[in-house]
Amino acid sequence: MADTTVLKKDTFIMFKGAVHQVVDFQHVNPGKGSAFVRTKLRNVQTGRTLDNTFKVSESVDPVELDRANMQYLYSDDLGYNFMDNSSYEQVCIPKELLGDRGLYLTEGQEVMVLMYNGQPLSVDLPKKLIFAVTEAMPAVKGDSAQGRVTKEVTIETGMKVQVPLFIEEGNQVVINTESGEYVERAQQ
Amino acid sequence: MEKNWKRIVDDIDFRRRMERRSEIIFGIRRFFRELGFFEVETPTLVASPGMEPELDPFMTEVIAQNGTRSGVGLITSPEYSLKKLLAAGYERIFEITRGYRNHEPWGGLHNPEFTMIEWYRTGSDYRAIMEDTERLVESLSKSLYNQSIIEYQGQQIDLSAPWVRLSVEEAFKKYANLDLGDMLDDVERFGRAVRDRGCETNKSDTFDDLFYRLFLRDIEPNLGWDRPVILYDYPHQMASLSRLKPTDLLYAERFEAYICGLELCNAFSELNDPVEQRKRLDHERQERISQGKTAFPIDEDFIEAVGRMPNSAGIALGVDRLVMLLTNARTIEDVMFFPAVDLFGSRKEDSDTKISFN
Repeated sequence: MADTTVLKKDTFIMFKGAVHQVVDFQHVNPGKGSAFVRTKLRNVQTGRTLDNTFKVSESVDPVELDRANMQYLYSDDLGYNFMDNSSYEQVCIPKELLGDRGLYLTEGQEVMVLMYNGQPLSVDLPKKLIFAVTEAMPAVKGDSAQGRVTKEVTIETGMKVQVPLFIEEGNQVVINTESGEYVERAQQ
Repeated sequence: MEKNWKRIVDDIDFRRRMERRSEIIFGIRRFFRELGFFEVETPTLVASPGMEPELDPFMTEVIAQNGTRSGVGLITSPEYSLKKLLAAGYERIFEITRGYRNHEPWGGLHNPEFTMIEWYRTGSDYRAIMEDTERLVESLSKSLYNQSIIEYQGQQIDLSAPWVRLSVEEAFKKYANLDLGDMLDDVERFGRAVRDRGCETNKSDTFDDLFYRLFLRDIEPNLGWDRPVILYDYPHQMASLSRLKPTDLLYAERFEAYICGLELCNAFSELNDPVEQRKRLDHERQERISQGKTAFPIDEDFIEAVGRMPNSAGIALGVDRLVMLLTNARTIEDVMFFPAVDLFGSRKEDSDTKISFN
């Protein structure tokens, strides 16, 4: 156990029985009474975030995660498979642990694999990644007249994304891996 | 080593901000003088520097020529002295002073010494102070920029009066779907409701702790983003130095103003019942003792003053934060010469000062 000063960005704590990443934090003194640390926590297994307010005086349970630079290989029934760039060892992260983040993996992509007690739990993705658009309906005349400014396309990993009407099949697009949102058309 | 005044030479924006700071202080004085307030100065070195259990005053001692030492502290607020002045017959007073608080989260929003203004009106309640506050801030904006719409950290905000008024009860209903009125005297039930909304709680949590766990997560992040919000009528447990509402003793006549994530002030219809005042100070003193903190003597002159004080209302407003708001400054270090954080550590990273919780 440790005091709440360990609650800093990108540290990991055991919270409600699961390892959580501190995504954001802020110390707050509401004036009268205790001081608090407001946090945004991400469950490293589900990827979900939640907000929690800790009292400064309470203790938290930090966990130490190991990180290894790995390359994404392929997915199979067991999950997503990665290879450690230095040891060439392969590890597999079950699909349910990566959740939506699995939809950002393309063959050869380098990611940071996060491990707890030797068990790979999660990956840190680059914030923005480039994907090819594999399915896009052509923009229909009148769409924009009806106030429509985006359409749904499918990218190479199978993920569906809202993009501007001018994006076509075969284009490369930059996607924000935290929000899943389209950022811009990539330079060809 | 880099001179700590190098920034003042190099950073034109900082220089301009500090010029505006000076205009703001001047504008505050003009505003209150025009309303007929009397500016006073009271000591910052006192025997009882503030009893609130969560505050850590700076302690020092006064040494007489014969070597006798007396323990004193630096004020955390000028409140005790100003209330004595109300008891002594002044009707509208204000003071711009330094307050000192130790052991706070330094950097971003807190400096060990900071500038605050307090003002008090007799014969009024907190509603008059709400109007003073919104008019003051609007007038400062107009005299700096000729308009009441400003931008703070990428957010446009309209400072014109009247500001949005939201009671604490309405805020809990609106943002947390919780009927606070049912929970006020039932901490266990309140704890269950807070847990039901997914907050982790602790057996030792007081009413206030439960309140802030939910408030900081679900309510405060929604307050004051396009117009300032005056949040008023706090649960009676959180009355502090305010009087209870005559029409509803479950709530106390206290308000705070929220603007773009900044909590600007704390105001009360002042408690003027000396028996209740002593009870609260005794309670806070016991709390300090149980936390192993210095327990100051109760200022008996203050207790007597509270009993002789007419019905009054008053407020403490953080001037540095007001300057931050009106000069679009991200941190308190950006609005002061020689911030203390440079003495004992590096300035903080973004995440601790600016945060997107909404």
